[in-house]
Amino acid sequence: MIDVQALSKKFGDNLVLSDITTSIQKGEVVAIIGPSGSGKSTFLRCLNLLETPSSGSIEINGKNLTASKKEIHKIRQQIGMVFQHFHLFPHMTVLENLMYAPMKAKGLKKYDAEGKARQLLERVGLAQKADAYPNSLSGGQKQRVAIARALAMEPELMLFDEPTSALDPEMVKEVLEVMKDLAKSGMTMVVVTHEMGFAREVADRVLFLDHGVLVEEGEPESFFKHPTSERARDFLDKVL
Amino acid sequence: MNLDFSQIVPYIPFMLEGIWVTLKFVFFAIILGSILGTVLALFKIGSAKPLRWFADAYTSIFRGTPLILQLMIIYYSIPQLTGYDISPFLSAILAFGLNSSAYISEIIRAGIQAVDKGQLEAAQALGVPYGAMMKDIILPQALKNILPALMNEFITLTKESAIVSTIGYLDLMRRAQVVGADLFRNFEPLLFVGLIYWCLVMGLTVIGRMVERRLKLSD
Ligand SMILES: Nc1ncnc2c1ncn2[C@@H]1O[C@H](COP(=O)(O)OP(=O)(O)OP(=O)(O)O)[C@@H](O)[C@H]1O
Ligand SMILES: [Mg+2]
Repeated sequence: MIDVQALSKKFGDNLVLSDITTSIQKGEVVAIIGPSGSGKSTFLRCLNLLETPSSGSIEINGKNLTASKKEIHKIRQQIGMVFQHFHLFPHMTVLENLMYAPMKAKGLKKYDAEGKARQLLERVGLAQKADAYPNSLSGGQKQRVAIARALAMEPELMLFDEPTSALDPEMVKEVLEVMKDLAKSGMTMVVVTHEMGFAREVADRVLFLDHGVLVEEGEPESFFKHPTSERARDFLDKVL
Repeated sequence: MNLDFSQIVPYIPFMLEGIWVTLKFVFFAIILGSILGTVLALFKIGSAKPLRWFADAYTSIFRGTPLILQLMIIYYSIPQLTGYDISPFLSAILAFGLNSSAYISEIIRAGIQAVDKGQLEAAQALGVPYGAMMKDIILPQALKNILPALMNEFITLTKESAIVSTIGYLDLMRRAQVVGADLFRNFEPLLFVGLIYWCLVMGLTVIGRMVERRLKLSD
């Protein structure tokens, strides 16, 4: 589904991603881990062109992203993204947050958008918050709304950038539960995370980045038990 | 001190009429300034270099020269160059609208840039087209931040509107001068319209506070 070839990204002279090649299958859940500043977010953001790659190519469902800048809206509509800091629209209610993009970007009728939105709120356990404004929600609730907002576009792929890092510890679980359900439903997911437990339990594959290099990738079982590279061993020693 | 307000009493209706005359062109100037200012602000933050360049040059010219000069140029040069005999009313709207659009565009630009970048990214990631994103996500949030600055600009415009008296537009200020010349007493009519200007500005201030409180409700 996603095919990344020799992807590099520079910010000025700073080489942040270096020659990354990998592919992700439909229905696969991929966890990206690595030290701070290793380029995890940048990699994820390249996948929906929030960052423009300096070189290399990214194909999603056979469409080359960098070559289709004009169609980028259409492509982004098929890729949901969840941010560390939620970025809900503060001047809209929870329900409006979910209905806005389907109506504006996909031309859904209000009635259909609302039906879909309420169904998704039910799914993330927040049906009773439909008319609340984001600022009145807890962090965990905000992030669940953000996930529902992304799902409202019925994406084929979901990107998560440290979705639980900004949360109080007691709220991490409710968000991870929603993500696990999503993984079970067969959604293709790419998740940048510091939650090694989640990576181990839910991911089909782990990518380990260090200094912009894809150092190692593999199934979680073998990666966490027997990392082959020195750098991955060092990293795991520190975080586990 | 020999103040005598009894003499201006017969002129009061004439001067009060000036409120309406002043407000009429101030209203249209604010509308023009706001629309044009928004467009210029979008040029400034957009990616098209020529538009950005144009908006910056425009702002620089209108902020860099006196308003009274701009007013005179519009009022006197348009008939001379085009033969169209422009009215003081239209000249006033044009001069004040064009001039305040330069200031308003700067206020809006700063307001847009102060909106959390995550809002833009969230909208982009959802595939929302640029125009809709600006209109529905970015501008409403920017507006909330800049309302005090915007109100300030409207208040300045209302006060500075007095300089249209120089092209013979019969606004509040001009009426005070007319009455003063009639009575050979200037202080009383000037004081009287001064009070009116103050009331107008207070009115605007109160409206601004009300709108602000309204917008804060979603917090
Ligand atoms: N917009 C930008 N402009 C310049 N440099 C940037 C930009 N975004 C990221 N970088 C740099 O790129 C490098 C990788 O950043 P990135 O955010 O991808 O790391 P990360 O692995 O997500 O780190 P973290 O775990 O802290 O989120 C860092 O050195 C960062 O300073
Ligand atoms: Mg990051």
